[in-house]
Amino acid sequence: MALEKHRNILDYTLQSLLKRKLKNIGIIMVFTLVIFTASSVIFLSYSLRQEARLLLKDSPEIIVQKMRAGRHELISTLIMTEIGQIPGVSGVEPRYWGYYYDSGVKANYTILGIGASGTEKNRVLSGRMPSRHEKNIAAIGRGIAEARVIKKDLGSVLYLQAADGKWMNFNITGVFESDSEIMTADLIVISEDDFKTLVGMPDDAATDLAVHVSNEAETPTIAKKIKERFPDSRPILRDEIIRTYDAVFGWRSGLIIALFMGALIAFIILAWDKATGLSAEEKQEIGILKAIGWETSDVLEMKFWEGLVISLASFMCGIILAYIHIFFTGASLLAPALKGWSVIYPEFRLTPFIDFYQIAILMSLTIVPYIASTIIPSWKASITDPDTVMRG
Amino acid sequence: MIKTENVTKYFNRGKPDEVLAVNDATIEIKKGDFAVFKGPSGSGKTTLLSLIGCMSRPTSGRVIVGDRDVSRLPERFMTEVRRNIFGFIFQQFHLIKGITVCDNVMLPLYPVGIKPSKLRESAALILNNLGMSKRIDFPVQRLSGGEQQRTAIARALINNPDVILADEPTAHLDTQISEEFLTIMRNLQQQGKTIVIATHDPLVYEKDYVNLIIEMRDGRVREIMKN
Amino acid sequence: MRKSGVFFSFIGINLAIIAILCIISLIAVSEHNIASKDISKIVKVLQLTDMVLATDARYTRNPSQADLFSAFQDYPGSIEHFPTGSVIPPPDMNSLEKLIEIKANGS
Repeated sequence: MALEKHRNILDYTLQSLLKRKLKNIGIIMVFTLVIFTASSVIFLSYSLRQEARLLLKDSPEIIVQKMRAGRHELISTLIMTEIGQIPGVSGVEPRYWGYYYDSGVKANYTILGIGASGTEKNRVLSGRMPSRHEKNIAAIGRGIAEARVIKKDLGSVLYLQAADGKWMNFNITGVFESDSEIMTADLIVISEDDFKTLVGMPDDAATDLAVHVSNEAETPTIAKKIKERFPDSRPILRDEIIRTYDAVFGWRSGLIIALFMGALIAFIILAWDKATGLSAEEKQEIGILKAIGWETSDVLEMKFWEGLVISLASFMCGIILAYIHIFFTGASLLAPALKGWSVIYPEFRLTPFIDFYQIAILMSLTIVPYIASTIIPSWKASITDPDTVMRG
Repeated sequence: MIKTENVTKYFNRGKPDEVLAVNDATIEIKKGDFAVFKGPSGSGKTTLLSLIGCMSRPTSGRVIVGDRDVSRLPERFMTEVRRNIFGFIFQQFHLIKGITVCDNVMLPLYPVGIKPSKLRESAALILNNLGMSKRIDFPVQRLSGGEQQRTAIARALINNPDVILADEPTAHLDTQISEEFLTIMRNLQQQGKTIVIATHDPLVYEKDYVNLIIEMRDGRVREIMKN
Repeated sequence: MRKSGVFFSFIGINLAIIAILCIISLIAVSEHNIASKDISKIVKVLQLTDMVLATDARYTRNPSQADLFSAFQDYPGSIEHFPTGSVIPPPDMNSLEKLIEIKANGS
């Protein structure tokens, strides 16, 4: 009996929503779009952030750069021993890396010279990487393999112009497969010796130094000591790197600001339009309902249903579409914002990490205010005496 | 059945646009009466109708329905009395546009919690009796004036009320349809219902079956005539 | 069917789809944990510090490694002018712990 009452009122609500079909479909579409945009951003940024946390946990604890006149410069490998002697440091390794602009493809590659191996039988690497002194061997990211004008793959040859103008050729012996694309898409990995020849780097220099620390809690102290010992250096902590990604995909910056704000404003306009008043027709309808025997609470319940039907339907559709958009179609609408002018970029085959907390917040920030903005304006109309409809 | 004792109703009390709509009205309507509130527009008959129909509260005085003083009841109970005892027919019909005749007729009982299939049965029965069976699933905005009024009557009857209140029911109708309306009301009276009509149309108050005429002017009851 | 019935089934279908997506997500996340071990190994060997999100500007390719205070830029945090710069903000600069003071002559 009591349940049937609420169902009857819901029936009537749906009936009157259908009466203004065009308007309500319009509202649902705008609302769905808002939810879609907001939750797309939430899905994308949260899963990228999770990915960053998961994958960057194995990057070096401290990177030491040399600064000269405010710019990043090559660092001398001679200071490695001194850094190695700082208590708590378990190892110091030089890193050789830089960018290479390929004018043929108009793309920037990231070139890495390595002096270590140990990635045999790795599922995301087909073939192998070069070792420290091996000449004319390269492993490349899937992004480069796909993007070169002439498609390169295992066994083909890659030509790069060295600092002295001579062309160097590299046999491709390894390709980082697409599962690792988010970390490797634009990489060209060559041997340390080849790297130095390619960029014309002195023997006792490196791009920067990776410092490994035995006890992670000591990292800030060690960074401070390095900074004291070498005032012209800039230690970058892994925590800061991860925090940088948190900032990129956090609530208050980057993607969110760029994309979510527009959607939010659209939503506020929509809610404002509703909250600022009822049409004369709606007011009269409320009057009639009261006059024929509906209570104030019944009228408000109808308005509650009205808000809930629209907001819940839009919310669910928006969430589902956003999930499909981000995780099935590789964020096809948001990715261009992240790619910018990039020529090489990973396909966002993201792992669907879902942050239920943020979704719940989004839900309470949209459904609740929408229902409120439906009920509150009708409040006044529904508490007046029903005889106004006779006089009006 | 229905009594008012020294009922006074102000609108916008204490404001510059204060109106004294009903002034010290004392009347009594018995069960089975065919009563008419007669008077020019602005005489307070509509307000008195809404006061006895529990649509608004008097500023002072008492309204007694059955043997209950309803003038000080909380809203919930007012609604309950209104829903159980009265059926209203408004001057402008006040049907809800965009939905069908049947939905309009069923509307008053939605919050009571009766299954729509049962509601529909009783609505169809009433519409049938009013000769509207062909129009059951017709959208109301496409009905003629007389049909709209019959829909409004059907809506007033869906809760099987003891009292039918009608406000200027013939104002927008031609003579023939007005006569039809009065015949329907007469039949309802003969079935034992009490009819109260506010009107200034002689067609209504000159009928011989009208047994109580309450004449109003400037918010006061001027004359009560019983036949 | 009653209109409320249609509405409830619509909500029900949506809930079912959302439930299925959640299950897909859980499965994918647990599978990813295996794949991510291999990726982490590469990250470790190559000593990578950043994700490939954009490759158009240095500071968006390797946000954590970017130059900070180069002279004559738009402002000391925004280093170059690229579309991705509006999406990927300048890195966290706390590590510098350097207070830049401009002192008046003679003080």
